[in-house]
Amino acid sequence: MSSAESALSQKSALGDSVASRRFFIAFLLAATAAFPLLQVAFGGLNYWLHMLLFIYMNVAIASSWNIIGGYAGYISLGHNVFFAIGGYAAAILFAYHGISPFISAPLCGLIAMSSGLLIGMVTLRTRGPTFIISTIALVLLTKILLDNWRYVGGANGMSLPLLDMPVEFVKLPFYYGMLIIAVASVYLSFRIRRSKFGLGLRAISQDETKAEVAGIPTRFYKILAFGLSGFFIGTAGALWGYYLTYLSPAIFLSILVGAKFVLMTILGGRGTVAGPVLGAVLFISANEFFVSQFGATELNLAATGLLLILVLMFFPEGILGTLKQKGRLPKILDWD
Amino acid sequence: MTQTVQIIILGLSLGGVFALMASGLTLIFGVMGIINLAHAAFIILASFITFGLFKYFALDPILSIVIVMPVMFIVGVAVYRIFFARSIADPNKRGVTVLLTFAIALVIEGTLGFLFSNIYRSTSPSYASSAILFGPYYLPEAQFYATILSAVILIGLWAFLQYTRTGYAIRATMHNRTAAEVVGVNVDRISMLVFGIGMALAGASGAMVSFLFSVYPSKHWEFVAILLSLVVLGGMGSLLGALVGALVLSVAAAFVSSYYGPVWSPVTFYLALFTILLFRPQGLMGKKAEF
Repeated sequence: MSSAESALSQKSALGDSVASRRFFIAFLLAATAAFPLLQVAFGGLNYWLHMLLFIYMNVAIASSWNIIGGYAGYISLGHNVFFAIGGYAAAILFAYHGISPFISAPLCGLIAMSSGLLIGMVTLRTRGPTFIISTIALVLLTKILLDNWRYVGGANGMSLPLLDMPVEFVKLPFYYGMLIIAVASVYLSFRIRRSKFGLGLRAISQDETKAEVAGIPTRFYKILAFGLSGFFIGTAGALWGYYLTYLSPAIFLSILVGAKFVLMTILGGRGTVAGPVLGAVLFISANEFFVSQFGATELNLAATGLLLILVLMFFPEGILGTLKQKGRLPKILDWD
Repeated sequence: MTQTVQIIILGLSLGGVFALMASGLTLIFGVMGIINLAHAAFIILASFITFGLFKYFALDPILSIVIVMPVMFIVGVAVYRIFFARSIADPNKRGVTVLLTFAIALVIEGTLGFLFSNIYRSTSPSYASSAILFGPYYLPEAQFYATILSAVILIGLWAFLQYTRTGYAIRATMHNRTAAEVVGVNVDRISMLVFGIGMALAGASGAMVSFLFSVYPSKHWEFVAILLSLVVLGGMGSLLGALVGALVLSVAAAFVSSYYGPVWSPVTFYLALFTILLFRPQGLMGKKAEF
């Protein structure tokens, strides 16, 4: 009887936690969706809109990177290549064919994803350190190619026209665009985590040989994960280029950009659904504080490296992973 | 024909230095199984030290190797003690260890950039601007000295590994870490020593890089990708492989540079890297690696 009772109470506790988590997520969605109303009503919030949409973009990026880097355990330092592919694809379509990035963004995501599938076929033939090397080489190679491609302005980059809207509203389309991308990518990450595919990826990260012996099509899964992780990063890149109205290889393809993708995810906790979200929010806020206090100098680079060192040495599982190990993870943040 | 030979000469003369730059990287990988993504950042650090010695003490960059190598050895031992001593034994942590070296590279790059700004620098000893002529061919004097010096250091390294007891222990650890430990090799101390030696080799090559190339802090990414491509070509952990890879790819890059322009010369290395990964991931001389 007692065991049945405890099982029952456990079940209702589980129900409670699901309910509180649902409430928390619904609250987050409602608050983020309603925030621009303040801008419409009172104005003067452009800086906050900018920060928030930047955070949403990074939530999308970190959640996407987590698919290959977290679930499958393949650390890629070159995911900003997808960011660049999305951005440049949208810019070319916009500048030469007049298609707004808001319309072409999903297409640009698909282009980034297909490139990811092709690149993955080559780079995913290796594991561990060699894979990491190949992703760095990928960034450097792409940068040289774009630097010398005159059609897109080479190293000087290309400018895009501003979105023709009054200044108090011009950030809103980007705000909602990035919000949608962020929500969609977190949802994708959640669905993958719960699927057989996600289980396969996690088996690969534990022991790839055993996973293969167990009948998991490891090569196919890895390539698919690599491609999928490129989709929303490409979509975000498409909007980001338009938002900046200027694209250059230096903006999209510095090693630091790719490094930040990794750092955000590891900081929050890779391999979890909520980890990349938390990591992106905390890292972008901290980074903004650091930049506003000390300027975006080389010191920022050193600080990023230092933070990464500290996290890797003392919290390799990230904030969520560490809390989970200690059994202190707040229920509302357990999205797995 | 004359031009072809000339290009080969120039390629080979850089290949020797690249081999020296890569030797530390491949040695560290061979013993510890980690890829030190900060290797080229340490080379740049050594170049900056050489530059400082040249500027403020008028010390010749080649002579300064006598100072730079021991300094970098100590740096290497300290870095090993602080960052790698604990995580090295656990193969599950290796992915994280690579990221750690990546983070160290960011810190070095950022700190150098902050202190000295990201501008081009190079030391300018008298031999940096003259060339040796023989028949129809020429060889820049700086590259001539650098090649000879690299060869001397590499032969010294080879002899050390081949003929000393410590070298024997290092080779045993490279061959099979666990077995070496079983027969009484202190693998932790060997790892520390090898990391120090690797950094000293980075120091020596950094001193030469200071007069062969113009350096700036963020250049190390280009260097490290080049080094990794030739190490992967030769086979990770193989010193001979690194030498062969360096010579082959430097000559190839010299041809690309001569026919398509110097901008494209790094592309040679990256494309070579992807080609190798596609067809022979273990490299020319590497054993099939299990990560």
